[in-house]
Amino acid sequence: MRIAIPIKQVPDTKSVRLDESTGTLVRDGIESIVNPLDLYAIELALQARERLDGETTAISMGPPKAEEALREALAMGIDHAVLATDRTFAGSDTWATAKVLAETIRYHGAPDLVICGERATDGDTGQVGPALAAFLGLPVAAYVNSVKKISRNSITVSKLLEDGEETVELPLPALITVVKEVAVPRLPTLSGKRRAISADILIVSNDNLRLPDSELGLKGSPTRVAKTFTPKATRECVNRTAATAEEAIPAARDLMAFLNDRGIRLSSEASQ
Amino acid sequence: MTKSPYNHLNSEMIAKLEAIVGPENVESTDTARLEALAKDETPGLPPHPPPEAAVRPATAAEIAEIMKLANKWRVPVTPRGAGSGLSGGAVPLYGGILILMDRFDKILEIDEKNMMATVEPGIISNDINERLAPLGLFHAGYPMSLETCQIGGNIAENAGGGKAIKYGVTSRYVLGLEVVTPTGDIIELGGKILKDVTGYNLLQLMVGSEGTLGIVTKIILRLVPLPKHQVDLLCLFDSLDAASEAVPAIMTECGITPSSLEFMDILSFKTACGHLRENIPVGNAEAALIVSVDGHDKKRVQEDYLAVGEFCEKRGAFEIFVADNPATSERIWKIRRTIPEAFAIMSDLQRGEDVVVPPASIPAATRYFADLAERHGVIIPCYGHAGDGNLHVRITAPAEWPRERWNKELPDILDQIHSFVAKLGGTLTGEHGVGLKHKQRISIFLSKEEIAISKAIKNAFDPNNILNPGKIFPE
Repeated sequence: MRIAIPIKQVPDTKSVRLDESTGTLVRDGIESIVNPLDLYAIELALQARERLDGETTAISMGPPKAEEALREALAMGIDHAVLATDRTFAGSDTWATAKVLAETIRYHGAPDLVICGERATDGDTGQVGPALAAFLGLPVAAYVNSVKKISRNSITVSKLLEDGEETVELPLPALITVVKEVAVPRLPTLSGKRRAISADILIVSNDNLRLPDSELGLKGSPTRVAKTFTPKATRECVNRTAATAEEAIPAARDLMAFLNDRGIRLSSEASQ
Repeated sequence: MTKSPYNHLNSEMIAKLEAIVGPENVESTDTARLEALAKDETPGLPPHPPPEAAVRPATAAEIAEIMKLANKWRVPVTPRGAGSGLSGGAVPLYGGILILMDRFDKILEIDEKNMMATVEPGIISNDINERLAPLGLFHAGYPMSLETCQIGGNIAENAGGGKAIKYGVTSRYVLGLEVVTPTGDIIELGGKILKDVTGYNLLQLMVGSEGTLGIVTKIILRLVPLPKHQVDLLCLFDSLDAASEAVPAIMTECGITPSSLEFMDILSFKTACGHLRENIPVGNAEAALIVSVDGHDKKRVQEDYLAVGEFCEKRGAFEIFVADNPATSERIWKIRRTIPEAFAIMSDLQRGEDVVVPPASIPAATRYFADLAERHGVIIPCYGHAGDGNLHVRITAPAEWPRERWNKELPDILDQIHSFVAKLGGTLTGEHGVGLKHKQRISIFLSKEEIAISKAIKNAFDPNNILNPGKIFPE
């Protein structure tokens, strides 16, 4: 089984600062990490490989520095790494990114399963996974929180819905995007690091992919950011204070009524 | 309760305190809030009477005025930072006035040309580093409670922590202090100077004096360049001895000074992992080491961690995990930092020791503590900054033990630990301080003469014994 895992290098959110004069992220000197949800995708891929044999490939689109993220994936145990990097890719939105990733995956060889993190912590769109499935013509299950069954021909997963879960079976090849309940990522080991340090990473540019310029970078990105701003908090906090047990009862009743009005029911355990 | 040789605060005195700091900054009626100030994070510290008033001054002059009055009134004063101490140093023994330093929470200056920062004592230690990081600088103190403790407390206890092995303890970075003396004078010690032998070194006497010689109101810190790269190795050993023997060997044979070298026996490690729901596979491990290397050149740091890792493999590490970015590094360090909390919930019958032995004696010490635990039917998780010989030994009795049994056996266990440590040439406390907790045990490690000189020094600073009385030395 061939598994492809698209990953993204993102700034460590703990150290991100905003330039208050321009409202943009200060990226200088910020440490980079593998997008946290992508680590769960990597872990799931490694577990699938351990059960079914086969090989795993991590794929990233980004500047040459994104190689660090790929080496982290290799250190965790991923077999191969491919970096799609080209000046013409810069400024791509989710559409153009998915297109480049789809072509890179095709270029490297069609996989049986593509596993993506559900979203990246920097863009926070969650669009690249499903868009990639569309460009590759694959069935997709998003928000996967557990894999029930996997064979060479199909995968059965449970996915999160707004008000519950749904179990679906997809024929392979397919693409899934995963949330963090799906697995617990392993830490890279020293032997993995040694291997990753000397491993070859396949570099893919548009010379290889031959996508028209109009589909790449800013030109190929239909998304336009008109304005960015910090939304004002519209919620108001109401404090109910109670000095005695007698006063606490009506305060608790008000709180229950408030939750009831919004369709929130406390479980019997919590309401006791 | 100890019989108080001091006077109690009356309403007239409280009114005077309110006049100094403003009535909104004096708490003398809310018993729940005052009781919360009668403890710190010391496991098993018996309850103490709450302070009679907690005041929150904003200037050194206000503190000086309070000290002068306290001397006149014969009312004790206890300074307190974040309350995260581990020896009862900020817990008043005789009620009186508690001075909260939380309004001293500013970074007054970052002097990049001299690589120094002037800060107030009530700022959270980690906040200083968050401000410094974008400038490529850092304060090298790294107590495990970095997200809660205040720099003033770090100075009071001369805090060490996880990076002391390479960077040294807090005192190395204190260049100047503004101090309110116990009699209410404001003095300045040291300054923006890197060498100073003019007179006795009162500056360093103040560092680690546990709030008994003065109240620090301003600090000049020496800063160092923030290493651009750090890699942490989590090394699992299937033998306790092999792990503890690797500790001094890394220092002497590897040719690399790690920035951290932490030891955790498997009990500590597994308990913290369980608490965090961390699932790192440990196999048959008996102990784990965290070895960190840092530096400015990425390639050099890589060479260093590969060399240290290979050395640990040779010394018996069967698995080594590598964290070279903030996400994985935090995952590893969180385990180490969570150990005290993970044990705190297991049993009320606990006591945390903070002994130091010569680094080469780490293997002997860890073996001894493991045997001691078995002999007494208690658990003694052993962890700590092993690279500098500092071990945290957390004696924990099964929760079902009756308290009488604990009270009977604990002194015996402590006697054995302390005599063994003394025999190795070690000491009572490396970074938590003596405070209330250890004062009955100090004579195992300090001679009569040393204690007499120390008491004379205290008396010279504080003739009425007003500031933080009842700490460090037995009555």
